[in-house]
Amino acid sequence: MAKQNLHQTFHEIIERHKGLLFKVTRTYCGNEEDRQDLIQEIRIQIWKSLPKYDAHFAMTTWLYRISINVAISFYRKNNNRTYFPVAEKLPYVFDAHPNNLQEKFNLLEQFIVELNEMDKALIMLYLEDKSYQEISEIMGITISNVGTKMGRIKEKLKKRFLTHKEN
Amino acid sequence: MNDTDLKYLWKTGNEQIAIGQTSDKTNLDNLTKRNISHFLSSMKPIKIFTLFVGMLWVFGLGYVLIKLTINAYEQVSPYFLYSAYFQLMLTAIAVILYIFQLITLYSIDFDKPVINLQKTLINLKVSTLNVTRILMLQLPFWTTFYWNESMFKNGTLALFIIQGTVSLSFTYLAIWLFFNLTFENADKWWFKLLLQNKEWEPLITSIDILNDLEEEVASEKD
Repeated sequence: MAKQNLHQTFHEIIERHKGLLFKVTRTYCGNEEDRQDLIQEIRIQIWKSLPKYDAHFAMTTWLYRISINVAISFYRKNNNRTYFPVAEKLPYVFDAHPNNLQEKFNLLEQFIVELNEMDKALIMLYLEDKSYQEISEIMGITISNVGTKMGRIKEKLKKRFLTHKEN
Repeated sequence: MNDTDLKYLWKTGNEQIAIGQTSDKTNLDNLTKRNISHFLSSMKPIKIFTLFVGMLWVFGLGYVLIKLTINAYEQVSPYFLYSAYFQLMLTAIAVILYIFQLITLYSIDFDKPVINLQKTLINLKVSTLNVTRILMLQLPFWTTFYWNESMFKNGTLALFIIQGTVSLSFTYLAIWLFFNLTFENADKWWFKLLLQNKEWEPLITSIDILNDLEEEVASEKD
């Protein structure tokens, strides 16, 4: 790929998949400053890996692999920093049923934050409506293992919602 | 709350947040010219510096020792010469391992499946621990290089007791650390005391991930 084409492709990928990058960084980073650093790290790795991109893989699979790998390693390095729950740092407004939906979403994010690095990735991919086959390709584990792990994580989340409701 | 509710919540929540986000056009020039400070770089500078000092030490000391062996073997204390050779050999092994680590660090592909890449990164950190274990084996030689013939001929009982205690203690400590400086002991106070600094913190915090990965492998075997 010529360098000019590479630049253009890179910009297109970043623009088209900014939502994907945004969700990965929100899942792994609790504060805005870290999130900006992480998004920059991910972009660097995408740029470096782009010439080796294998078109046999779906673009999203390839992007998820890079972003999650960078995010986990970044998170591991920075996990001694104070973690601010995401919702506290980014004020936003829901149009419909503000209190209920916003509160539930904040809780969901908070409960995901409590999961370990691998489980965070698995549940995020699941919530993004990825099939077990795709999750297996991204994570490098068998489909049956995805199913087992996913069952445990969903159970954990449901219990947390229930416990919170009771309190 | 069922699966559909969770997915709806995730989708709607993120959509609402995304509305408030400004479009961020990547400045590619800045990105490619940027002095890459990604997370791996936290390990690279200290490794490069350690490698530089290590190579300087190995080549410098190696040169002096070879010169001494060729030109003044009879005049130099054999305790000094062989202690220094053993120390040099262990440092050289550490330097070689450091070189392999740096090569691995620079050749990492982030588009590999998550579990595979994370295993590579953790194994890399485990090998850093192995370098330290090897370096610990040098300890006894720092208590023998100043021995000489006259010390054995004219030394007092007190000297022998003190010297013997020091050398045996360092030998015991070196062997003990070689066998005990492992991941399994990462939660022990002495491990944290010895290894807690910028280079080692990622290693210690990686233990949980390694356990997770082992759990993955175990559950795949079930």
